[in-house]
Amino acid sequence: MTATVPRTIELDIRGQICPSTLLVALREMNNNIDELNSGCARLFIKTDNRDCINTIPEAAGNMGFQVDVCKTEAAYTILIFK
Amino acid sequence: MITGLLLGLCTGFIMHRSDYCLAGMFRDLFLFRSVLKLRTLLLLVICSMVLFETARQLGLLPLYPFPLFGSPSLANVIGGFLFGVGMVLAGGCVVGTLYKMGAGSVPSAVAFIGLLAGSALYAEIHPWWSAVIAQTTFQKGKVTIPQLFNSDPLPLVLLTAVAGGIYFLRVYRKGGWVRPLYTEGALQPWKAAILLAIIGLLSAIVIGMPVGITTAYAKMGGYLESFLFPGHFQQLAYFKALPLNYCHPLTGVPLVGGPGPNMDAIAVIQLPLIGGIIVGGACSALLLREFRIYVKIPLRQYLSAIIGGMIMGLASRMAPACNIWHLFGGLPILATQSLLFLVGLLPGAWLGSIILSQVIIRAEAS
Repeated sequence: MTATVPRTIELDIRGQICPSTLLVALREMNNNIDELNSGCARLFIKTDNRDCINTIPEAAGNMGFQVDVCKTEAAYTILIFK
Repeated sequence: MITGLLLGLCTGFIMHRSDYCLAGMFRDLFLFRSVLKLRTLLLLVICSMVLFETARQLGLLPLYPFPLFGSPSLANVIGGFLFGVGMVLAGGCVVGTLYKMGAGSVPSAVAFIGLLAGSALYAEIHPWWSAVIAQTTFQKGKVTIPQLFNSDPLPLVLLTAVAGGIYFLRVYRKGGWVRPLYTEGALQPWKAAILLAIIGLLSAIVIGMPVGITTAYAKMGGYLESFLFPGHFQQLAYFKALPLNYCHPLTGVPLVGGPGPNMDAIAVIQLPLIGGIIVGGACSALLLREFRIYVKIPLRQYLSAIIGGMIMGLASRMAPACNIWHLFGGLPILATQSLLFLVGLLPGAWLGSIILSQVIIRAEAS
């Protein structure tokens, strides 16, 4: 892990329903896989679809990432990082 | 009527909390090779099978096999196939759409409008489709698999239940039932499966039929159509039929109804159920303070929802009936129609998954 602050890629998919939510998240992960893997970037997802709040962390976990899920006033947030 | 409302409320609430999305179960099987959720559907079917059979042995199901189930025909497979495509595109089946709409989902509301339109559209092809059904019906007068072999349902139910039980135990040993859930107030899907099986049993005992709602979609669609195009509406024979006509032996209540826009038994049974599921989903979301409405969604997702809804509405009349009716109600009594529906549903969901992943990914890739 380098000392530099990792870049945060934001993804707002509020209002979208499954499976678009998971598909979009997976595509975003794959598009930035090198940066995410090296720890240079983190993926920050905002969503209100309950289904994907459980499936995105599962998928990210399978890809070897760490996941933080938080419930905020506006939505659930999922942070995916190495 | 109150029974329907209560059952609907519970169903909507349970499904929202556990994301018990039937469209998702079949879709994830093809899209992500995941059987995690589909497994809980199997649990529901086997539980219902045991519950229904127990109730039947106790004499609580005098209308066995349930009213509105008929002899199998090719229509079941084709209807199931189209239904599979539609439910995946719409992002939820006829019930999933309701609880998600109740929880504030705009795409689901759009899919709901598509459902009404598709159901009404069926009336246009009803005369032709009835002829297709009549020509492809086989085993006239035999509704279930046991009837086909002129045997009592009990041995086959026991056999299936034991086989299912062994599988469930193996899954349990591997820890395959519990999944990590991050959502607040989440309900494990396997618990939802058992609760929903109990709701199905209550419906079968009190109303005399398992849970079904799609005739009411046609009813609502027909009601709207009678306003918009009254002249044309009058010519449609479909809305004059009364397929439901029986007397509940336990309560002595005669139940007569059909898809026409009248306040008949279908309306009394199904409309409160629909309302209940919507309100149940809304209550669940409100209690968690998660009820929010977002309209800024890619256009393609709206299109997918409305087209999926229409296909699903049409298919639910062609099949006839929806996935809930067949999977929660028909499969547990081994109705041949329902098995054929499932046979069609699987490739349908597969095709829907392919279309959807292409559409969504391409749309966003720019």
